[in-house]
Amino acid sequence: MALSGMRGLSVFISDVRNCQNKELERARVDKELANIRTKFKNDKGLTPYEKKKYVWKMLYIFMLGYDVDFGHMEAVSLISAPKYAEKQVGYIVTSSLLNENHDFLRLVINTVRNDIIGRNETFQCLALTMVGNIGGKEFSESLAPDVQKLLISNSCRPLVRKKAALCLLRLYRKNPDVVSVDGWADRMSQLLDEREIGVLTAVMSLLVALVANNPDAYWNCVSKCVRVLERLTRSQDIPQEYTYYGIPSPWLQVKTMRVLQYFPAIDDPNIRRSLFEVLQRVLMGTDAVKNINKNNATHAVLFEALALVMHLDAEKDMMAQCVGLLGKFIAVREPNIRYLGLENMTRMLMVSDVQESIKRHQVQIITSLRDPDISIRRRSLDLLYGMCDVTNAKDIVEELLQYLTTADFAIREELALKAAILAEKFAPDLSWYVDVILQLIEKAGDFVSDDIWYRVVQFVTNNDDLQPYAAAKARDFLDKPAVHETMVKVAGYLLGEYSHLLSRRPGCSPKEVFSIIHDKFATVSTPTKAILLSAYIKILLHSQTVDPELQNHVLAVFRKNETYLDAEVQQRASEYYALSRKGPSMVDVMAEMPKFPERQSALLKKAEDTEVDVADTSATKLRLMQLTSTAVVVADQKPANGVHPALTRVPSGQRNIEAPTVPVANGGQSPAPVDFLAIEAAPTHSAPESSPLVGPGDSLALALMDNQASTVQIGLKAEWRGNQGRIVLFLGNKHTAPLLSVKAVILPPRHMQLLTSNVPDTIPPRAQVQCPVEVTNLSPSREIPVLDFCYNNSSAMVSFKLRLPVIMSKFLQGATLAPADYIARWKALMGPPNKLLQEVVRGVKPLPLQEMSDLLGSLHVAIAPGYDPNVNNIVGAATYFSENPTLCLVRIETDPADRTQIRLTVGTPDTSVALELKEYIKERLVDIPSGAAPTSLPGMPSPADDLVGPAASLAGLI
Amino acid sequence: MIDAVLVMNTQGKPRLAKFYKSLSPVKQQEIVRKVYTGLSSRAEHFCNFVEADEIFGAGTKLVYKHFATLYFVFVIDSGESELGILDLIQVFVETLDSIFKNVCELDIVFNFNKVNTVLDEIVMGGQVVETNSTEIVKSVQEIFK
Repeated sequence: MALSGMRGLSVFISDVRNCQNKELERARVDKELANIRTKFKNDKGLTPYEKKKYVWKMLYIFMLGYDVDFGHMEAVSLISAPKYAEKQVGYIVTSSLLNENHDFLRLVINTVRNDIIGRNETFQCLALTMVGNIGGKEFSESLAPDVQKLLISNSCRPLVRKKAALCLLRLYRKNPDVVSVDGWADRMSQLLDEREIGVLTAVMSLLVALVANNPDAYWNCVSKCVRVLERLTRSQDIPQEYTYYGIPSPWLQVKTMRVLQYFPAIDDPNIRRSLFEVLQRVLMGTDAVKNINKNNATHAVLFEALALVMHLDAEKDMMAQCVGLLGKFIAVREPNIRYLGLENMTRMLMVSDVQESIKRHQVQIITSLRDPDISIRRRSLDLLYGMCDVTNAKDIVEELLQYLTTADFAIREELALKAAILAEKFAPDLSWYVDVILQLIEKAGDFVSDDIWYRVVQFVTNNDDLQPYAAAKARDFLDKPAVHETMVKVAGYLLGEYSHLLSRRPGCSPKEVFSIIHDKFATVSTPTKAILLSAYIKILLHSQTVDPELQNHVLAVFRKNETYLDAEVQQRASEYYALSRKGPSMVDVMAEMPKFPERQSALLKKAEDTEVDVADTSATKLRLMQLTSTAVVVADQKPANGVHPALTRVPSGQRNIEAPTVPVANGGQSPAPVDFLAIEAAPTHSAPESSPLVGPGDSLALALMDNQASTVQIGLKAEWRGNQGRIVLFLGNKHTAPLLSVKAVILPPRHMQLLTSNVPDTIPPRAQVQCPVEVTNLSPSREIPVLDFCYNNSSAMVSFKLRLPVIMSKFLQGATLAPADYIARWKALMGPPNKLLQEVVRGVKPLPLQEMSDLLGSLHVAIAPGYDPNVNNIVGAATYFSENPTLCLVRIETDPADRTQIRLTVGTPDTSVALELKEYIKERLVDIPSGAAPTSLPGMPSPADDLVGPAASLAGLI
Repeated sequence: MIDAVLVMNTQGKPRLAKFYKSLSPVKQQEIVRKVYTGLSSRAEHFCNFVEADEIFGAGTKLVYKHFATLYFVFVIDSGESELGILDLIQVFVETLDSIFKNVCELDIVFNFNKVNTVLDEIVMGGQVVETNSTEIVKSVQEIFK
């Protein structure tokens, strides 16, 4: 065992390792953090060695999962140290500990640049690596030319050049303008002549990114790429160290073939011919070997070749050869190859004319559906789903149903949904469809959403022949032990409507049907009870001869439920009671439901919508979509609150980035009222609030697509730095018709300067346009800019206003002060002249101290715990950025006896800032009357939203 | 691209965690935990790929290899070849082996700084930078001279 070479570090690591439990570990880590903090504070005496040691310790602690919120400056400053060893640590630790938005990074841009253009190769490498890992926009602007020079230089060693290539890739990702298309196409082409494999691999990665963004510009690289492939597959001039288990750099082979998949089509017959020769050679050399690593490498190349062949739309023979190979792969025992075989076969489905030959492997694919490994089961499920059509639907769906009973929880939902979609899409006859869905409910009721059973009801209602069959089936299912509630709903509904068609069959007299349904009544939820009550009255009034015993029983049930807790059940019970006492004259009122108008299935529509989106995109995106397209319906696990998943990024938890989206209802109404369903709700009653509509947490999130009201979707992404901000508005047309005369005007408040770019007059169907806005904050104010948006949706002009989340806290940044400094500044503000604004605020939302402190933190005020001797007080500091940055001190004094009042003090050298900030904080602390949605508060999104992101920042419609 | 590289032991203790996308520390820890939960339940003969849509976003996968007490995990998006990454893990481990002579978990624990550097020589900004083990060892030695 080698030690780290630093005794203190090794000791610390062993201490942590020896901790018996998590608490002891935390205690040890906290002790160390405290130690480092003190050491850094009085840093005069620290030797470079010590600094290095502490910074390494910090990184170790960070890796263990503890928050290290100090010492960043020390890490960064090591980069500028003259000594090699310190610089090295500085670079490595900085790139792990800090992220690209960290302000300290700006301080070292110059040093980094000097290292990059300097003559010390090791420094060059360290600097390039750091920038390649965490370089942000500013690095892009200042370093790109130097990095480019290194990449194309003849005098640099490969070691430096390959890093320069990847560093440039990072800078390009941060700012595409740094690589000008004109000059670089030729340079890239020259770089592809490189002999050194390491440099070539890095260049190829760079090329992938460039081509992905602009394939047309890099056509001249195609022939060079083919030549690289020829060289590799023929093993010409490949040094021994660059072969991996005898295969010439599999990574470079894969990357090169990947680049070629980004070019739309390769038409040049010569290039095409040489490329196919190469691919043919790869496809032939596939013999499995014993060495697992060698086997992996061969197959890595092979699978990429298959993907390229598919992309190139090769000759029939070659496609057949590929399907043959994939057939072989999905039958092998080696799980990795089988997994990838299944995945690639699913992609293969996109190629025309091969479906039939894929179908031949159905039995083999179904075997994988029972594999113990869930990764493989998923692939198999996706493939079966993709290859299903009218000819094999029965087999496949029945196979899925059978598997459903044994499937583990993780895959059931997906399985149930896919079975339902396939059954509907490819049902050879409707009775089979009814069978499938009822079985589905029986086996996985929890995963069968209401849409699925509504759809069954719709089919049965519209097909007279089906009614007796469905009713009889429903009755049979109710006989089974442990019936799922969804089954009770659908069976109750069907029997209510159609059980009279069965009355001659044994066991199906109205009385028997009633009693079998009513057995479940006690245990079902309120919405289901409502459905059952409707069923009862229908059973009663549909029966040809009135059975007094049944009538008494049903009336008793209605009677009893007239006082039921839920208003809907109560109402139904009392109305039905009154109706049924009027006797047979009421039969017409309780007639069978009329036929539904033909509608598209919600499930299928959803499935189709995602397929449309697959249309021509770059290769990776296409691959990604091909992979997810079949899984899409469950992937959408967002609650149906209208947040479009595609636009919503995971909140990254840092201060400066957010990307929320809100749906905008057509005509500016509130986005809530939504026709969730493609068919009517089942019960006879129009009582939407309590009939069993899809709940907001429904995993299908169908509202997203089916909600006809949401034509427009507006998303927003913002970055903030100092008093500047950059907002990008995403204006999306979700409609199938273009939006005309689009206007988006932002009315800036007086204290802000806004630079808006022009919005196109028309947004094409299903397209999205971006509209960047530059914001500069000039003076303190709580006013919020308003977006005035209008368009013509081909029938009428629609306009509405949206408040943009350019709120005060966007220009605040937490400031950390030493206790002595804090107190000194506080005293200075006390004056004279007194610059502390103080107010006793009453009617404050009673929050625990911690939550109040979190709330303040969410406004970007850095809390300084322990600075105020009174534990009931919270103090903090922040810098407010307008034309000049101003330091603001904040103090909240709470009264433990009365949590609804506080004393709020805000102090800044500039009282206008203090005034606005005080009001701003106050607004957030004051109790919000229950019932009022946070978004309806005038002019401000709730502070909690400010923290979380998505749901929030575009605060409500006006 | 490679979104993250994680090394953790079979008890879930992180031994190396490198993220190529900027994520908050909290999120990073959450990912480490989720990855561990995802992997620890997998049998030895299962395939080396796990779909990670719920951990790292749509289209991402974990490609992992289990060596003695350690998991080596690469989180990748659809732009990478799964088997290629498996080969890369092999290169990573072989390189560590030649640096530490029969590498074991303790070497990695006590030399996490060196291990970090080795990784930096193999992966940079989420892209493969070098696959030649000899070359990697050489540059690491140069850095720690």
